[in-house]
Amino acid sequence: MKIFSRFAIFVGLGVLLSGCAASSPTFLNSASLIAGHEASLYWEIFIETLIIFILIIGAFIWIFIRDRDRGGKKIVPPQIYGKLAWAAVPLLAIVLLDGADFVAMARTMFAVAPPAASSQDIQLHVIGHRWWWEFDYKDQNIVTANELHIPVGATVQITLDSVDVIHSFWVPQLTGKTDVIPGQTNHMWITSDQIGEFLGQCTEFCGTEHAMMRIKAVVQSQADFDAWVANQQKPAAQPKTDLEQAGHTTVTTLCASCHSLNPAEPEEKTGPNLTHLFSRSIFAGGTYDLNDANLRSWLKDPQAMKPGNDMGVTLSPAQIDQLAAYLELLK
Amino acid sequence: MTTQAQAKLKTEPYALGDFLSWIMTVDHKRIGILYLITAFFFFLFGGIEAFLMRLQLAQPGNKVLSPDLYNQVFTMHGTTMIFLAVMPLAAGFGNYLVPLMIGARDMAFPKLNALSYWTYLFAGCFMYSSFFLGGAPNDGWFSYAPLTENLYSPTHGMDFWIMGILLLGFATTIGSINFIVTIIQLRAPGMTLTRMPAFVWAQFVTAFLAVFSIPSLTTAVLLLLLDRQMGAHFFNVAQGGSALLWQHLFWFFGHPEVYILILPAMGIVSEVIPVFSGKPLFAYAAVVYAMIAIGFLGFTVWAHHMFATGMPTTTLLFFAGDTFLISAPTGVLFFSWLATIWKGQLRFTTPMLFSLGFATMFLIGGLDGVHLAVVPMDWQLTDTYYVVSHIHYVLFGGAIFGIFSGIYYWFPKMAGRRLGETLGKWHFWFFFIGMNLVFMPMHILGLEGMPRRIYTYASGRGWEIWNLVETIGAGVIAIGVLIFIVNFFISISKKATNEEDAWDGFTLEWKTSSPPPAYNFAEIPSVRSRRPLWDEKHPDLADWKMEK
Repeated sequence: MKIFSRFAIFVGLGVLLSGCAASSPTFLNSASLIAGHEASLYWEIFIETLIIFILIIGAFIWIFIRDRDRGGKKIVPPQIYGKLAWAAVPLLAIVLLDGADFVAMARTMFAVAPPAASSQDIQLHVIGHRWWWEFDYKDQNIVTANELHIPVGATVQITLDSVDVIHSFWVPQLTGKTDVIPGQTNHMWITSDQIGEFLGQCTEFCGTEHAMMRIKAVVQSQADFDAWVANQQKPAAQPKTDLEQAGHTTVTTLCASCHSLNPAEPEEKTGPNLTHLFSRSIFAGGTYDLNDANLRSWLKDPQAMKPGNDMGVTLSPAQIDQLAAYLELLK
Repeated sequence: MTTQAQAKLKTEPYALGDFLSWIMTVDHKRIGILYLITAFFFFLFGGIEAFLMRLQLAQPGNKVLSPDLYNQVFTMHGTTMIFLAVMPLAAGFGNYLVPLMIGARDMAFPKLNALSYWTYLFAGCFMYSSFFLGGAPNDGWFSYAPLTENLYSPTHGMDFWIMGILLLGFATTIGSINFIVTIIQLRAPGMTLTRMPAFVWAQFVTAFLAVFSIPSLTTAVLLLLLDRQMGAHFFNVAQGGSALLWQHLFWFFGHPEVYILILPAMGIVSEVIPVFSGKPLFAYAAVVYAMIAIGFLGFTVWAHHMFATGMPTTTLLFFAGDTFLISAPTGVLFFSWLATIWKGQLRFTTPMLFSLGFATMFLIGGLDGVHLAVVPMDWQLTDTYYVVSHIHYVLFGGAIFGIFSGIYYWFPKMAGRRLGETLGKWHFWFFFIGMNLVFMPMHILGLEGMPRRIYTYASGRGWEIWNLVETIGAGVIAIGVLIFIVNFFISISKKATNEEDAWDGFTLEWKTSSPPPAYNFAEIPSVRSRRPLWDEKHPDLADWKMEK
């Protein structure tokens, strides 16, 4: 079976590699044990169905060529009625193949089943909002958004909840998707054996900006992860200049109705936690790179960058300068 | 009535001269034609919506449609193609052909038949009017709760959708009961159940599927209507409702619905392939049992649409295994079609090309369906473009190819003249190449992680090139549709030939004039086998001597 699946992977890659770009977030370019199992299962079944396809299409084309009406005189072809018993041929063949597929499927499902819980596990609470992701690390007292961090090799136990409609959490190179359903807490687990950044996004239609509800998973070394945790646990940076002070005032008044400046505050508010906003590389549901220019144009008109999102404020150019000055401190 | 008018009525019973007679008609053939024409218009609407989506997705960040308009358009594309195009196209063929094929003078309940059509037309127009009355429905043809609740969908689009679906469910249910009673009660002498054409069997099974699955959809939309209009909270989680309840109710209808869409096309193909092979349908009994088995199994697999909702492993394995089983009867159909063309004298006419196109494209849709049935692969591939590819190989490469095969095949019967063969073949190849350009790259996009139902996408993930190819493919399909329309108008502008038996057919509809008179048969035929016309043409090789 192992030789077969190696062979399958080899041939399959040859067929499709030209199609799948190296930069794609595809599970076929897996970064975890789970996605790796799913990828080899895919290639096994892909090769099986490809062979069936070639055999049947080959039979059709062969008969097309051999038995086509050559425009000569009209003949009466042999009238073959076919007894019911003939159905046994396709039935037997297919039931055998189905059985093989079922075994391969069950084997993979047990291989990717969640491991027994351990105190070493990282507990991650994923909360779906229209249209951004909240990531709460319970044991670390961290609340962040859109960009999640995990240490390489660690087992991450995830619970998923939604505050509004159904979403679905998917980072293909780490694992398949699990729906995020209001009123029902779902569970999944991930692990990664590769340092890097892996992209994903919401895959259950959740309204206007479903397209702009993306995820970046950052897999880093244990040391880098620890440093990230330590930084996230710090309180929000204090303003120093007058400009920053004015920005801070706005954040704690106007913005505070939707955004929190407390690193551990679980999100009951509408928008993402801002405490370490500029430690993240993306914002607006993971859609845009977070930099000064994008931040300013967002503050100027969030509806232009992401029509339909919940943020609707009118800020003066002076306020935008103040806010940008303060928010960019929040590393 | 003068003799001249009588003669005219005989050769041109569908002349448009008397507009009122089309409104008042209860003739199953006229109603069938009304269904086909109306559904073709909705097919064009759905196609235009598809084309708009392809323009929007041709490159990342396009602004052809606003996010909300895109969501309205993809919702109406799915709703239109399923409820307003493919189902009524199949119903049109059923109406026109079932009474002719079983040797009856009309459907069992002609007035109900008319009611069914007019309800459908009204429901379609009603749903489309929402575009001008505050916005079309925008939560997808599947309308998952709780997104459909007032809080998240405040426009009346969803209410239009709910009322439209209720009306369409009503129309389909009475239409299906009409088919069931007609087929049970009105068969000509000797037309036993085991001698019925495969197409009639397909309509028979389809009618049962509709009667048993639509109540689940009706229940779901009624509960949603109560939620939206009267403050109930069946799907309102905050008040103790359940989000997943909708999915169970919807897919208990939604999966049989797939077979409601595809079985009539399988029936058409099972008529066309034998005629153009000059042979009987191989192992007819196996084909009939397979269609019945597909119908039954179709009711037991609904939760395979919900593999990512967090179901326990046992449930996952059950629904996956059950889904695998559907490949068995489907394989029997392929085996029969292959054995039917085996050693035949194959005439590659336009109807035959579309039927063989069905067989090959539906094969792809079946095989990538196996990929989706495998649970861990479904976790990766569900709600991506892989699924979009799968359903379009089944419903475009399958159902639509089967329906166009039927249009080319029975047009001479309905209109008294053929559609042009040359243009027909151009139409076929534009469709065949176009659909593969659109839908084959969707497999790759799904594998590459592109979700469906997104109005725009990020650049730099390898998705741009395939999206562009798909948009070009959509243009190729659009040209195919235009060729068909031109072909249609050229054909009806020519003089009618009124040939009775245009293709050397086997079944009873070819035994009467083209188009048939209002009463179908001057004398009700009596039937001794599955191919009454073959028996007449080949008395030495008559089926009733050979069949068991």
